[in-house]
Amino acid sequence: MQLFMQQLVNGVVLGATYGLVALGYTMVYGIVQLINFAHGEIFMLGGFGALFTYTVLLPSGTPVVLALILMLLGGMAVSVTAAVIMERFAYRPLRGAPRLAPLITALGVSIFLQELVRNFYPAKSPRPFPQLIPPDYLINLGGGVTINAPKLVTVIAAVVGMVALSTFVRSSRTGRAMQATAQDPDTARLMGIDTDRIIVTAFVLGASLAAVSGLSNGLQFGTVDPRMGALTGVKAFTAAVLGGIGNISGAVLGGFLLGIVEVMATQYAPSPLSGGAWANAWGFVVLILVLVFRPNGLLGERVAARA
Amino acid sequence: MSLLEVKDLRVSYGSIEAIKGISLVVEEGQVVTLIGTNGAGKTTTLRTLSGLLRPTAGEVYFDGQRLDGTAAHEVVMRGIAHSPEGRRIFPLMTVEENLELGAYSRKGMSPAEDIKKVFERFPRLEERRAQKAGTLSGGEQQMLAIGRALMSRPRLLMLDEPSMGLSPIMIQLIFDTIAELKSTGTTILLVEQNASAALALADVGYVLETGKMVLSGTGKDLLTDEKVRKAYLGED
Amino acid sequence: MSRDLSPKSLLGVAGAVATAVACFLPWSLYAGFPGKMLNTGFPGGARMYVLLLALAAGAVLLLDPPGRVRGLRAASVWALVISLLTALLIGYAGGGLGNVAAGAWIAVAGSAALTASAYLLDASSDRDRRVWSLPDADWRMPAEIVITLAMAGLALYVFVVGLGIPTSNVASGPDHTFRDAISLNDVTNGSEFLAFLFGIIGLFLVAGRIGLTASLGAITQRRRPALVTGATLAAIAFPFTQDGSPYALRIAASIGVFAAAAVGLNVVVGLAGLLDLGYIAFFGVGAYFAAIYSGSTTSPIHVHLPFFLVIVLGALVAAVFGFVLGAPTLRLRGDYLAIVTLGFGEIFRISVNNLDGQSGPSLTNGPNGISNIPDLGLPGGFSFGDNHHLFGVPLPFQANYFFLEIVLVAAVMVAFLRLSDSRIGRAWVAIREDELAAAATGINTTRLKLLAFGLGATLAGAAGTVDAHVVKVAAPDSFTFIESTLLLAAVILGGMGTVPGALLGASVVYLLPEQLRFLHDLRLLVFGLVLILMMRLRPEGLVPSKRRQREFRERDDKSGALDPPPGAHA
Repeated sequence: MQLFMQQLVNGVVLGATYGLVALGYTMVYGIVQLINFAHGEIFMLGGFGALFTYTVLLPSGTPVVLALILMLLGGMAVSVTAAVIMERFAYRPLRGAPRLAPLITALGVSIFLQELVRNFYPAKSPRPFPQLIPPDYLINLGGGVTINAPKLVTVIAAVVGMVALSTFVRSSRTGRAMQATAQDPDTARLMGIDTDRIIVTAFVLGASLAAVSGLSNGLQFGTVDPRMGALTGVKAFTAAVLGGIGNISGAVLGGFLLGIVEVMATQYAPSPLSGGAWANAWGFVVLILVLVFRPNGLLGERVAARA
Repeated sequence: MSLLEVKDLRVSYGSIEAIKGISLVVEEGQVVTLIGTNGAGKTTTLRTLSGLLRPTAGEVYFDGQRLDGTAAHEVVMRGIAHSPEGRRIFPLMTVEENLELGAYSRKGMSPAEDIKKVFERFPRLEERRAQKAGTLSGGEQQMLAIGRALMSRPRLLMLDEPSMGLSPIMIQLIFDTIAELKSTGTTILLVEQNASAALALADVGYVLETGKMVLSGTGKDLLTDEKVRKAYLGED
Repeated sequence: MSRDLSPKSLLGVAGAVATAVACFLPWSLYAGFPGKMLNTGFPGGARMYVLLLALAAGAVLLLDPPGRVRGLRAASVWALVISLLTALLIGYAGGGLGNVAAGAWIAVAGSAALTASAYLLDASSDRDRRVWSLPDADWRMPAEIVITLAMAGLALYVFVVGLGIPTSNVASGPDHTFRDAISLNDVTNGSEFLAFLFGIIGLFLVAGRIGLTASLGAITQRRRPALVTGATLAAIAFPFTQDGSPYALRIAASIGVFAAAAVGLNVVVGLAGLLDLGYIAFFGVGAYFAAIYSGSTTSPIHVHLPFFLVIVLGALVAAVFGFVLGAPTLRLRGDYLAIVTLGFGEIFRISVNNLDGQSGPSLTNGPNGISNIPDLGLPGGFSFGDNHHLFGVPLPFQANYFFLEIVLVAAVMVAFLRLSDSRIGRAWVAIREDELAAAATGINTTRLKLLAFGLGATLAGAAGTVDAHVVKVAAPDSFTFIESTLLLAAVILGGMGTVPGALLGASVVYLLPEQLRFLHDLRLLVFGLVLILMMRLRPEGLVPSKRRQREFRERDDKSGALDPPPGAHA
């Protein structure tokens, strides 16, 4: 039982990473129906931005809490800048183009960003990430189940991100404009909504949350790698679809489910299909099963659905 | 000075020219109607005026200032509201939320008073204020679309086919509403296929045919014009 | 046709003449620069492409076709880019700008003048481009056939030239095991290929802007038998242009497999509009089937089936996978199907990685894959592993596999064309355009989508069995998500729903990273950038289907519309 609970906690932690990235997929998809495959790279850039802030910008001896905050801001700055440039120069010119054209652009952006970091980030690969919070600094959750601090922060960030984002979309003026743009972009413009700005806002919010995930990922695993965005991106997109793409709570819920399934399958799947090697496959099996029985995902579509 | 002045406007979809140089004038307080068959370019004209499409040539002046080239969301701020063809209400939002979005351009001002006015004009909407707009009947959706357009307190209200697809009773109600708006001094540019009702209301009418302006005159004159009667009022 | 003799035009004419003349003068005083830059007389290397662009610019200026100024801009800018880049690289490689001969500077100045003229002229005065056709005379049909055959020949020529340009003389071994940064020296080695690439882009843009591409496209469409004959002849002729060298043949055979798979994917994506992100898995099913049952020593199952049986069974197994996966998921909306297929692709890759007898049943030999697949043979003792001589030209054994690829591509193409012209094909297009409307007209959309998905899987499986024999190995690394997306990129870059598009797209997507090797680590970076730029310049693909092109152009001016307005709001 203790093992089971511990694995559940580990699954939730893994799921939080997916969920934070999935929020970006779901928002952009909800508004422009674009599967932004380069969003995984935005997550990766968040990690590298944080690393860069720490190694280059921060003087040694900066207090840990301050360092973490500044690293987060640095990571966000990099992620957000990349996302805004990407939206402006790669995606925006393609609005109204055939549906699949932006998908290839997304692929191009993804390759480009990955290679950009791999070639020009001045350090060896994979890059060691500072262990600001010692991994053995464990918090006891009772019954022998533990979680370390960076992991706890990741989970909290995912939940807070989800709640804040839903509240924002539901009740703020800009959030309303987002919903309107998602439902009918032309008519939204007739209401006086600058839809271009709304779309950029969605990219910016998604990038900020991905940066949180990128930083916490670095803290958890102690390295960052230019290739880490690709798999996380696919997983996060899977999570978004699991929850019902376009649905903000669904993205995080889908992330948790995916993370728990992967961890549990590694532990409990029948031999020889258990173990880390098969974990990713189990995640997709669950995805396919969920979609067969709930074609719109767990929570269905919200922001995305048009009449 | 006219409120709206369009000079030799041209609009193309790719290599196909949909509007081939039309001119029209709307004076403050007037109801002006554009009539014509399907594909004559009426909707394209309105979409161009509200900034959703870019003209390839020509000039548009609103209140004496150049309007063409202005982005759609800024056109609303300049005082033009467009109730689009097919109503295009936001189906997943409530009636009230739709109305609030209508006032989006008036940043920082509470929409409460205007919502109250819309509800006075259309009591049906008040009954359904918390209902998702997608569940309204066609006529109610049209009321909502007009109400939403009024929320921005426009100086010029553009209505695109407000009677399309509605029952005769609803059509009557919509035209009554337009007449009432006219009596309170609202300037309206009305696109309609229901030519007789539109011309009966209008101070000025323009007849569009395949992207060209073929006829214009006062509503009364056009209503009695033989060509118009034959082509658009179904008489022979 | 009104002759424009304004000073702006004359500046352009002078620039074009100067540039053209400069191409016959030496550009370099330094002998080590690639592309024969030293001689006076008929130009080689980068000079050839600058010359072609200058001639195109001059012709456009004087003949005044529709789209004159925009065409001129394309020609002049690319001529300037090539000549300036080449001049600077000569200076760099030779150790100083003193090594750049006068010819290069004249070309730079000339193309600069040309560019200036192109941007001074007013593009809004351009007449709309139109599709030309030959006059309706007796000789029209033969002329069109000749033009069509010539186009196929030209395509072969461009392909051979593009593949044949050496891009590397770095003698540090075939593989760079350590991270090696690109130096300007590498760019120098690649400069001729870059000039070729930029030249082709420039000429393609000019042809497109003055309406030549559309006109030639219309002609070749009308003469489809001639096009097929010409393309087949060109493909068969290719091995004879290689002088016995296996390098290009190996690449061409890989392009063939890739193209066959792309055409198959085009059934799924281009015709039926289903977004399949795991297509390579079906291909992999075929490849693994062939690898396991063809008598390889590393296969755990020691059964050696005859080749034709392997193809049929491999295709069938892939089809079963297609139907099993498709049946429950094709009810889903398009973008969900994308993630499900992506998931299936990953499951496949993970499975073949683990079915090694330790973390799973023994079937695929794990990460090492199944290698040493024996050479194919034909009844009568012909082995695909033998070298041959034909018409006095040495043909390495890779040519045998290349010819096999031609047969495969042809078969897949025939299947595609038959399908697209059939009742089923029209139903697919209807589903792609508007699924609800298609269902309303009585089309059983789920069954037809499943058919498209299954047929796509079948074609991929067949192509996979052939591929296993060509590359002689089936390993998990060849069937990753990135391969699926590259296939999709080939289909979309080329133009959805057309065969020439898929072939062209496959060539570009495969060849470009191959020939960009001189960029070393920057290769993929540049490739990513190229994908972005291509989608921005031609979002409808290089060879769009007629319908699609029309749709896209009409949508063009709904500036800012995120999507075509949804039809009904209920």
